[in-house]
Amino acid sequence: MSEQKENYFIYADPQKCLGCKSCELACGLAHSKTDLITAVLEDYRIRPRNRVVQADGVKVTLQCRQCEDAPCAQVCPSGAIGQRDGMVFLNRDLCIGCKSCAMVCPYGAIRVRSEAQGKGDGRVKRAKALKCDLCAEVNGVIDSETCACVKACPTKAIALVDYEELIQRSMEARAKEIAAVASGREK
Amino acid sequence: MNKEFSADQAVKQMLPLAKKAGLETVWDRFEKQQPQCGFGTLGICCRICWQGPCRIDPFGDGPIKGVCGADADTIVARNLIRGIAGGTAAHSDHGKHIALTLLEISEKKAEGYQIKDEVKLRSVADKLGLPQEGRDLYEVAGAVAEATLEDFFRKDESIHCSWFDKTLPKERVEKLEKLGVVPGNINGSIAEIMARTHIGTDADPVNLLLGGIKCALADYVGMALATDLSDAIFGTPAPVKTRANLGVIKESAVNIAVHGHNPLLSELVCDLAAELNEEAIKAGAKDGINVVGVCCTGNEVMMRRGIPLATNFLSQELAIVTGALDAMVVDVQCIMPSLATVKECFHTELITTMPTCKISGATHVEFSTETAKESAGKIVKLAIEAYKRRNPAKVNLSDITETAYAGFSTEAIIAALSTVDQEDPLKPLLDNIVNGNIRGVVLFAGCNNPNVVQDHAFTAIARELAENNVLMLATGCGAGAFAKAGLMTPEATEAYAGDTLKAVLTAIGKAAGLSGPLPLILHMGSCVDNTRAVAVATALANKIGVDLDKLPVAASAPECMSEKAMAIGTWAVSLGLPTHLGIVPQILGSELVTKVLTEGVKDLTGGYFFVETEPKAAAAKLLEAIETRRAGLGI
Repeated sequence: MSEQKENYFIYADPQKCLGCKSCELACGLAHSKTDLITAVLEDYRIRPRNRVVQADGVKVTLQCRQCEDAPCAQVCPSGAIGQRDGMVFLNRDLCIGCKSCAMVCPYGAIRVRSEAQGKGDGRVKRAKALKCDLCAEVNGVIDSETCACVKACPTKAIALVDYEELIQRSMEARAKEIAAVASGREK
Repeated sequence: MNKEFSADQAVKQMLPLAKKAGLETVWDRFEKQQPQCGFGTLGICCRICWQGPCRIDPFGDGPIKGVCGADADTIVARNLIRGIAGGTAAHSDHGKHIALTLLEISEKKAEGYQIKDEVKLRSVADKLGLPQEGRDLYEVAGAVAEATLEDFFRKDESIHCSWFDKTLPKERVEKLEKLGVVPGNINGSIAEIMARTHIGTDADPVNLLLGGIKCALADYVGMALATDLSDAIFGTPAPVKTRANLGVIKESAVNIAVHGHNPLLSELVCDLAAELNEEAIKAGAKDGINVVGVCCTGNEVMMRRGIPLATNFLSQELAIVTGALDAMVVDVQCIMPSLATVKECFHTELITTMPTCKISGATHVEFSTETAKESAGKIVKLAIEAYKRRNPAKVNLSDITETAYAGFSTEAIIAALSTVDQEDPLKPLLDNIVNGNIRGVVLFAGCNNPNVVQDHAFTAIARELAENNVLMLATGCGAGAFAKAGLMTPEATEAYAGDTLKAVLTAIGKAAGLSGPLPLILHMGSCVDNTRAVAVATALANKIGVDLDKLPVAASAPECMSEKAMAIGTWAVSLGLPTHLGIVPQILGSELVTKVLTEGVKDLTGGYFFVETEPKAAAAKLLEAIETRRAGLGI
């Protein structure tokens, strides 16, 4: 059995985030597969999977961290959440809207909301868990070129992180530093 | 280049050259701004006080009120009318310069300026009800200037602006008076907007919008007086044949582009260019000095002097990219600061002239009425000096130009009509509207906007309307688009006009002594000249004794962009015109404001806005508006 790749995740740099909420709008619109003007004119229910928060003067966007041992997956009674395709995958067809996942998420990154148009028949509210899916549902692939929040951020504060690649880059950078110091000593 | 940025053939030719040279243009910057902020797009970002900035969640998930408690309706209305105030300030500042210059002429202080059109000045004096008996030309000029300036500064704001009451149908004035939106003075109307949109002041969106209408009507006043007094000083435009597009920049001449808006500068540059022509030839330019126009200054000198038009707003940078533009002289409004960066790669002198419009990197030659001639001379000499530094290796001339007829002022249109019926010049126009040979009139106005393909919607809508026998007028960068596209020619009438429109334009053209029909679209001037079209409409309305909102007349701004366009569009609606916008205005964050401007305002003024970004659909809606009006008149 080949080794599974660690999950991708969205990371926002609090040093660069201006709190403009452009990522929220972009996320909601991407998942509704519409544009801003149409959404406003046709009264769509736009539900971003991310949220810009501020604490102790720091602004940053928070969304699902795609944990490897995800509490949400552990507690989901209907088996709607699990590891798949390099992320924590939520099968909304199985979701019953119990909010267990929302309660245990350490990032507060899951919300149970209804995206459905219209009022329904009064028996169900049609609310389901919503979380960042790295725009895979929209695009069919996971790619920083296609993540709506990454594209929307005017200060390039948001990035799609490939964990393994990040580690590799960090190691290389440190190795270069060490090498430079070492060669300085030789001279 | 995969994406189409412009319908302008010269732009298509020059843009790859700019790219190759690594020069950034407006289209590059537009791409870099993508995606643009959704809150701003919807008008629900409020930066008026420092409790904020606040923004409303357009989908109701987040905050629905700003810190002070202002909701989306209040915020959108405030933002919009502040834009209208900006536009009004811009136009009326232009008008004030003209009026002050007229005053100085009357005091014989403004060397370099004269009253070139005494007839126009006297007709303005008549219109304003100023006595002329026993007064010489200068005394009349002084009285007109004083009465006009009174419209800026009048102490008693309950008295209407003279230029408002005296230029519009009586019924319209009364209707707007009942709404409490008639301006008493221009400056006060602008200040009132700033005051009522201050934190914790007017929060009622409808009341705010009415304030916007009042200010927009002050904009109408500022524009009407700017146009008519410019005519008195520089001459009322009459039909003139010229050329348009970047190909008007010539290799063998010292090329000076006049860019901006106010004819006070460009007229003097033209005068001095003629005076100093020999110096240019001596410097090696065998064709002497070639003045070309950009943007609305371009329209001003095109209308009055037949100066060729290089380009309109969006492609202003490309005039420098030709490598043969020796100087670009600018005054105010719609001047891209990026010109200073583009010209760094060439020998071109960028010359700013106004104390309120400087650009770092440009050469500043201050322009004032008293020293206008001297400054204009200095500017022309700077251009000749720059010519000597021109690098032939960097010259990339365009070969694209089209013939264009300009100069269709209200007076010129009446004069053409009077060749058909001298006793009653409006009768031929009116008869043809009544019998349906002309279905109606559409005024194209407004800017360029990189949100859409440059010039495309203008020409696409115009072709549809032409086929459906609509008489078309154009101003501003809209007029520039048509001139560059070759649609302001008799040939375009032959090619695109419906049969009955063609017959009417041909009959008038022949009666007026032209060999063929009038041009398909009549060039009425710069954006400040939109009031010329109102003068034609008012004359028609007065003749048949109806208000403006009954006439089969509509306005269209397919690429509106500037605050001035917000002001113009709003006064067009206030005067009763169905007004098309081809760009989605930044108001959709408030359903209430959107509804008032597209529907509710109809009950108040008879006019309304409609937004349609698709040209064919826009043409259909303009036609529908015209047919509705015709039905209302029973014709």
